[in-house]
Amino acid sequence: MSGKTSKLTRPGLPGWLILVGSALLVLVCLFPFWWMVVSSVKTLRELYTVPPIWWPDTPTFQNYSNVLFQSNIPRYFLNSVIVSAGSTGLALILAIFASYGFARFKFKGKPLLQSMVLVAQLLPTAAIIVPLFITLRFLGLVNTYWGLILVYMIITLPLSVWMLTSYFKNIPVELEEAAIIDGASRLECLFRITLPLSLPGIASVMVYAFVTTWNEFIFALCFATDSSVKTLPIGLAEFSTEFNTDWGAVMAASVVMTLPIAILFLSMQRLFVGGLTAGATKG
Amino acid sequence: MKTMTIKLAMAATASFLAMSASAWAGQVVWWTPNFNEARARQLVETFQAANPGVTVKLETTTTDGLPQRILTALQSGAAPDVIDVQHAWVNGYAQNKLVVPLDEAVTEREDYIPAALQYNTWNGKLWGAPYRIETHAIIINRGDFKAVGLDPDKPPQTWEAFADAAKKLTVNGKSGFAITGGGEVGNTIFRSLPFMWMLGGGIISDDGKKVLVDSPESEKAVTFYTDFFKNHLSPSSTLENDGTANRRLFIAEKVSMYQSGQFDIQSIRKENPKIDIGVIPVPHPEGAKTAVILGGWSLVVPSSAKNPDEAKKLVAFLSKSENQAILTDTFPARISAMNAERFNDPILKVFKDMLPFGRPVPAHPNWVQISQAYFDGIQRILLGDESVKDAMDGAASEIEGLL
Amino acid sequence: MQKQSTGYLFILPALMVLGMLIAYPVAYTGLLSVTDNAGNFVGLENFRRVLAARATPIAFWNTLWWVLGSIIFQVLFGVMAAILLNQNFRGRAIVRSVTLVPWVVPGIVAATTWAWMLHTEFGIINYMLTAPGLIDKPIGWLTNGNTVMPVMIAINIWKMFPFVAIMVLAGLQSIPNDLYEAARIDGASFWEEVWYVMLPQVRSVIVAITLLLVIWALNHITIIYAITRGGPANKTLITPIQIFRTAFDGMQFGQAAALSVMFFGVAIVIVFIYIRTLASNPEEAR
Repeated sequence: MSGKTSKLTRPGLPGWLILVGSALLVLVCLFPFWWMVVSSVKTLRELYTVPPIWWPDTPTFQNYSNVLFQSNIPRYFLNSVIVSAGSTGLALILAIFASYGFARFKFKGKPLLQSMVLVAQLLPTAAIIVPLFITLRFLGLVNTYWGLILVYMIITLPLSVWMLTSYFKNIPVELEEAAIIDGASRLECLFRITLPLSLPGIASVMVYAFVTTWNEFIFALCFATDSSVKTLPIGLAEFSTEFNTDWGAVMAASVVMTLPIAILFLSMQRLFVGGLTAGATKG
Repeated sequence: MKTMTIKLAMAATASFLAMSASAWAGQVVWWTPNFNEARARQLVETFQAANPGVTVKLETTTTDGLPQRILTALQSGAAPDVIDVQHAWVNGYAQNKLVVPLDEAVTEREDYIPAALQYNTWNGKLWGAPYRIETHAIIINRGDFKAVGLDPDKPPQTWEAFADAAKKLTVNGKSGFAITGGGEVGNTIFRSLPFMWMLGGGIISDDGKKVLVDSPESEKAVTFYTDFFKNHLSPSSTLENDGTANRRLFIAEKVSMYQSGQFDIQSIRKENPKIDIGVIPVPHPEGAKTAVILGGWSLVVPSSAKNPDEAKKLVAFLSKSENQAILTDTFPARISAMNAERFNDPILKVFKDMLPFGRPVPAHPNWVQISQAYFDGIQRILLGDESVKDAMDGAASEIEGLL
Repeated sequence: MQKQSTGYLFILPALMVLGMLIAYPVAYTGLLSVTDNAGNFVGLENFRRVLAARATPIAFWNTLWWVLGSIIFQVLFGVMAAILLNQNFRGRAIVRSVTLVPWVVPGIVAATTWAWMLHTEFGIINYMLTAPGLIDKPIGWLTNGNTVMPVMIAINIWKMFPFVAIMVLAGLQSIPNDLYEAARIDGASFWEEVWYVMLPQVRSVIVAITLLLVIWALNHITIIYAITRGGPANKTLITPIQIFRTAFDGMQFGQAAALSVMFFGVAIVIVFIYIRTLASNPEEAR
């Protein structure tokens, strides 16, 4: 859209470089995933052969039917959606305000507070599991959605705040200054001007928070012991018994687990492009 | 607000359910591994029928991350009432006062394999109720034996004969005998420590006071073990292989012999029915007896259990001979339970024969670090970084600081 | 400028939530680091024991390599991919989504899939190299002391560069068009545009991401733990794994806490220096 309004053509990478680059990117990113998909339609016997089989003679969908109809995976899927959506939403709300505060205000101790936010991320997981569990128990939140959502703030909030702060900083402050002269409040500035211009940033923070909580294992393992709140990564672990792992099922479950996120991102494309046009209207 | 309502509703439902089962019943929460679930559920039903006052809530655990999850619950004081744990963990829990003694729940001690009780004993008290035991033997591909002119019915018994057989079996891209050198520490401890015992060596002495890993006997055993890799009789991937990887190599017919427990038999039969599986005893040095590590599972009652009395009742119930025979995935810890039909499969015979040679790993508060130090030494040998002597001397000085 | 108090109001909710969650763990860890398993005060005994352990210095250097190696290439490849994905070409949406895949795949699954692909015997990678005769015999990627750490780093790069790419891409997308137009009027070539328009405009994003990546690499154990557990012979042991092993395998919670405290201290110093020198220079604090 913006290209049409502009008279000058924009320089770009040479076509062959785009082609080679994209091909390489797709190959590198997709090969292990493709291997995962291939493994998910192999029988146990075909999984472990020397040399490996590229594609099974008769692909089996037994693994998928096991995962979808004979395991707890569907229930865990629902739990994962609730927990991930909840923690993404909460992190986003808290991060939008905090980032705006960091990006637009000067106050005493700002660098210190900014680094404090990151402190949560620096604590070694092994050191905080036990005390976190005690905190959750104190709050009565063990084995609840809220418990997991809250705990995931430790993982998602610091990054969200940092990312959004740097996006907000990239939005020219002059736009808001003009609005304030017109009598807008700070909150209006945030929601009417800064937020719409930061959509790509918000989209990427959302994707980040969602993906991270979707895949988180160790907290979920320790804080959700009841199958009513267990999440998908725990479901993956349940395909392993003491001396055996049903790799076909694990791979099938991983595909089931990965696809929704890939689709989610595909749908997020519009938001990224939205950011581009927003930039254009501004100029 | 909404969550409050939901929580209240959930609490109300829970108490209603509990009340409908029996008024003011003590509820016992039992954590059992996922592979036990079906059998545990069966036993819970029998138990509840016999004890109308008690309900049991079964929560399944996963093998991945199990020690972390149990320790988190124990350390934070919010543990369930009964937990299924591996024998070797019990001592650590007892020393840290995380579990309660179970002396009154475990009776008829003379009916138990002594090593199983030994694992669970600390300071003169019994801290876990052993219900399951197992040991290793050598699983062989009988077809491979015949192909190279060896008689699978007259298997090698001494170290020398065994190493010779492994050499003969290493043909056509196959490895004669796969050792482990990767994965979790326990894999390699289970497979190499018994060789030290056979010669009278060890990693540390049984009383935990002396380092034995640098003794000539231990070094000889380590040499025997690691030479399988150095002489290319064990696969080139040895350093990344644990017991499971070895089984896969065996199933893929790349390995002719490896050490493992009876739990592997079923997977091999299922995944590659073509293999003619045989089981032979672990070889011993000329003129000495064989040895194996006894492994298995016990039930513990955490100090922070909400209903310790009902929990002990459940433990006592599960410790009955006939119930052990149901719950165990391998062999029961009680001798009388071994008579059950399911343990009569002829392929289990050698595994059963190995049980009397089973010994517990030494109980020491720092055992995990000690075994890690030893395992690092083994890996340095396999990597070719150090000689057996240097590696074991290094491990010894590290272990010395841990005693 | 603005009243200070308004700024505090904006950040207060986030700080409260985080404070509630981490205050107790920090205090608990601090306390644990000077007590033994029975809860008796032991002074600095835990620190002494941890520092005396043979693995500690090894883990320290490994962590350094792990972090540096991971970060440099994650940022490099991430920015390159972002610039590519910011171009107009057919099928861009698909390539963008595909790029996300490594990051979306659950860490534990990615680790095990790679471990399997890299296995000396079963691995598809060795097969692809030996079948056409590129190498004569299989390489022990995960068992050779010289290759195992680089391989771990490579897997980590594979896993995380998409994250950098997306974040930088989002940054590129919010560059106002007039900046490009100005460059075009000056007749800038593509590479000049990259150098003078794109990179300076996404600088703050890159600075922020780099810090996050450092923190992440410092604390991310899934890949190494799932594949090698720090082995063989501690060749891939990094400090967070050592902490994990000390606490949950060894049940030495006091020593694990002592190691955590030291690790935490060093990490904070690194983060603080980084923020001081890069993130809060006057040009950006507008």
